Amino acid sequence: MDVVFNQVFAGLSFASILLIIALGLAIIYGTMGVINLAHGEFVMLGAYATWALQTYAGLGVVTALPLVFLAVAAAGWIIEKVIVQRLYARPLDTILATWGIGIIIQQAVRLGIGPDSRFVQGPQWLTGNLQIGNLVMSNYRLFVIAFAIFILGATWLLMTRTEFGMKLRAVIQNRNISECYGIKAEKVYSVTFAYGAGLAGIAGALITPLFSTIPTMGTGLVVDAFLVVIVGGLGSLMGTAAAAMLIGEVTALFSIVMNDTLGRIAVLAGIILLIRFRPRGLFPSDTRR
Amino acid sequence: MSQLQVKDLQVQFGGLRAVDGMNFDVEKGEIMCLLGPNGAGKSTTLDLICGKTQPTGGSILFQGTEISRMLEFKRARLGIGRKFQVPSVYKDLTVVENLSVARSARPSVLHSLTSRAVRRSARVKEILDIVGLVNKQDEAAGNLSHGETQWLEIAMLIAQDSRLILMDEPTAGMTIQETDRTAKIFRKLSANHTLIVVEHDMSFVRTVADRIIVMNQGKKLAEGSIQEIEANEAVKTAYLGH
Amino acid sequence: MNSRISYDVIGFALFAGVILFGVPAILGYDAFELSTFSRYLSLAIVSMALALSWGTAGLLNLGQAATFGMGSYAMAMHLKLKASGESLPDFMGWNNVDTLPWLWVPFQSLTFTLLAGFLIPAGVGGLIAVFMFRARIAGVFVAIITLAFLVAFQLLVINQQGFTGGQNGLTGLAPLEIFGWVVDIYSVSFYYLVSACLLVALTLGLYLTHSKFGLVLRAIREDPERTRYFGYNVASYETLIFCISAALAGWAGMLYALVLEFASPTYMSVSFSLAIVIWCAVGGRESVLAAAIGAILVNLAEGRLSDVFVEGWHLILGVMFLLVVMFMPRGIYGLIVDAGRALKRQGSRAETVEYNPPDALLSQNRES
Repeated sequence: MDVVFNQVFAGLSFASILLIIALGLAIIYGTMGVINLAHGEFVMLGAYATWALQTYAGLGVVTALPLVFLAVAAAGWIIEKVIVQRLYARPLDTILATWGIGIIIQQAVRLGIGPDSRFVQGPQWLTGNLQIGNLVMSNYRLFVIAFAIFILGATWLLMTRTEFGMKLRAVIQNRNISECYGIKAEKVYSVTFAYGAGLAGIAGALITPLFSTIPTMGTGLVVDAFLVVIVGGLGSLMGTAAAAMLIGEVTALFSIVMNDTLGRIAVLAGIILLIRFRPRGLFPSDTRR
Repeated sequence: MSQLQVKDLQVQFGGLRAVDGMNFDVEKGEIMCLLGPNGAGKSTTLDLICGKTQPTGGSILFQGTEISRMLEFKRARLGIGRKFQVPSVYKDLTVVENLSVARSARPSVLHSLTSRAVRRSARVKEILDIVGLVNKQDEAAGNLSHGETQWLEIAMLIAQDSRLILMDEPTAGMTIQETDRTAKIFRKLSANHTLIVVEHDMSFVRTVADRIIVMNQGKKLAEGSIQEIEANEAVKTAYLGH
Repeated sequence: MNSRISYDVIGFALFAGVILFGVPAILGYDAFELSTFSRYLSLAIVSMALALSWGTAGLLNLGQAATFGMGSYAMAMHLKLKASGESLPDFMGWNNVDTLPWLWVPFQSLTFTLLAGFLIPAGVGGLIAVFMFRARIAGVFVAIITLAFLVAFQLLVINQQGFTGGQNGLTGLAPLEIFGWVVDIYSVSFYYLVSACLLVALTLGLYLTHSKFGLVLRAIREDPERTRYFGYNVASYETLIFCISAALAGWAGMLYALVLEFASPTYMSVSFSLAIVIWCAVGGRESVLAAAIGAILVNLAEGRLSDVFVEGWHLILGVMFLLVVMFMPRGIYGLIVDAGRALKRQGSRAETVEYNPPDALLSQNRES
């Protein structure tokens, strides 16, 4: 029974990371219909940025977070401006282009920094565990969970309580009409893409003490995050959050009974079946189409 | 027996009943015009007949066969053709290629594997002649003007040779001369085809309609000849709003 | 009458001439060089197979490497059994498999292997296609489903070590023997075998694209909804082209396993699938011939450049791909078509002002 409780906790902390990655992916897809296959590489960039800040500037993971967010968001903003923006009329080609971008980033990091894994020290003040009965919860993982909830709340506020959020929702509903009212859709797109990339960067920073930082680290994560987006349905933050919980927990609990590879295969089969049978997710937002 | 029999047809989107208990028959060789204010459910009625929308109730009999649950392509094979409100031709294909796709008397995969992409038969030439696109036959449809695109679509419907043709605002954006020419083509078509036409241009309706059904809020408001409709009090109220 | 057909026939004839006579002559009938080139030719087949589904019907199959891998494993399983003779394949012993798995038994027969090499990929492709297209899945979701299938399939192959050789794949293969001819991959006749396969595949591709079937597929690429209202069963058209494309990929995989003398799960990797997309995009997805040429050119470049930039080759490939997607979406083929059109326009302007434009001029837009 203890194993189950500890796995539930592990699942929760994995779900928090997934949630942050998936939020970025979902916002980008929901806004401009771009399936960003370079999203995993944004996570990886975030992790390397954290490593660099710790190695060369001596910053801790938590102190580095805002800087990492800005750095990866800037990278996302440039990529959107230079590449993605030219392809909105060709949705199938955006998949290919973002795939190409992902390869370029991955190879550039491999060549520039090297293929072997880098290690990042977790914050000193978050070492140690919180123990309730036989349930052992590491303080750092608790922090990750809390931070994910904070990101979810901040994103919700951004979408519903700010002028940018209103413009964003208007552009999602109808780009042409929004432009007639003077909303610059291109600008909204750039900022959204940058924000999504920045979130991926934060996720990358947060997992550095838990994962080894290697150039290919993003690829596996983005598959899970993509599943979260599909399960959650588009345009619903709460759906994404619920889906992240679901996937995180299912993955963690399956890992007790199944080996890793079969678990991955099950996740992929889940993606395929969901697209086929519930293309709008398990928690679709209620709009008439 | 009527060619098309619609009984208690109904469709609901959320809380809105777009079509609410429609009943009508269409006879072979007839041109039936559907009139009504915006949002009356005219286009939706066409969508229900051709299979674009699934009804939530009622039945549609085409030549005695129940079609209301059939897939679109099966209905098309039975002989129901559709022209949409927005001109929808294949812009990447040339004019003759568009016609070749439309000439779909034998739509099976097997037949398509053993025939050539484009066959310039006498019939194709004749159709191109009717709509005046002979000189543009090898032009990509995307390079045609708006009027020419409309003509190409009408040509495609003639080529498809459906027994029942559903037209959604065929004269939208046409000049008076073009509208007249379309009316003539329609009268000629009705020798072998049945037509249901959604149209706002009353002079066009006067020229072509054998019978008119006026819809309002998803229901049939009135039915009859043009004279009967023009004299109908309920119709006046619906259009003028008092 | 139809200039598009005549251009393609001329292009095909030129290509066949170069492959059959030009290349062997340039390479001086050198057996080693020819075997390298036959590797490119087998990859050209899988590239043109992708052009059929992606270029013609707009179905971006990112899982093309899976069906390619199936073909290569079919061939490798047969050759492995031949190499092992009466005993079990060596890797099975290492994985405590002590009887020949049922999956392997029929591959003792050459006839079965040759048929399985394209029928199994076609069957699997067909199942995925029915699964997707009945539900009217289109656009990016076709790409995602096929990609997910590819990754899952590769994981499965690596995971089932006792049946597949796992990460190492199938090595130590015997040479193929057909009708008493022992195939030597370092021979001119093997080069001609692969060339003949490519030319047959291209003929099939050209036939399909110029039939009404190809026309309906192009109509589906543009507007599947509209095409249904003409009575075409869109799902069955899409399914058939997916099957054909998968079968050709399997065929290419069989040849590839012969050339490289082993089968490996890397043939089913995401990066291999991406490579196929790149070849197809560089050559031009709208033409099967251009896609085949694209595969040959990119692989030639890789053969020459990856020695120079061992580490950076993937980076170069990624940049090249991005540039093609952004600025040359129709590939080299598109550039040639546009150039030809511009030349003709100038030519006709320089000549006389004709009242009726000549047929060739009218049909110049057919390529678009």
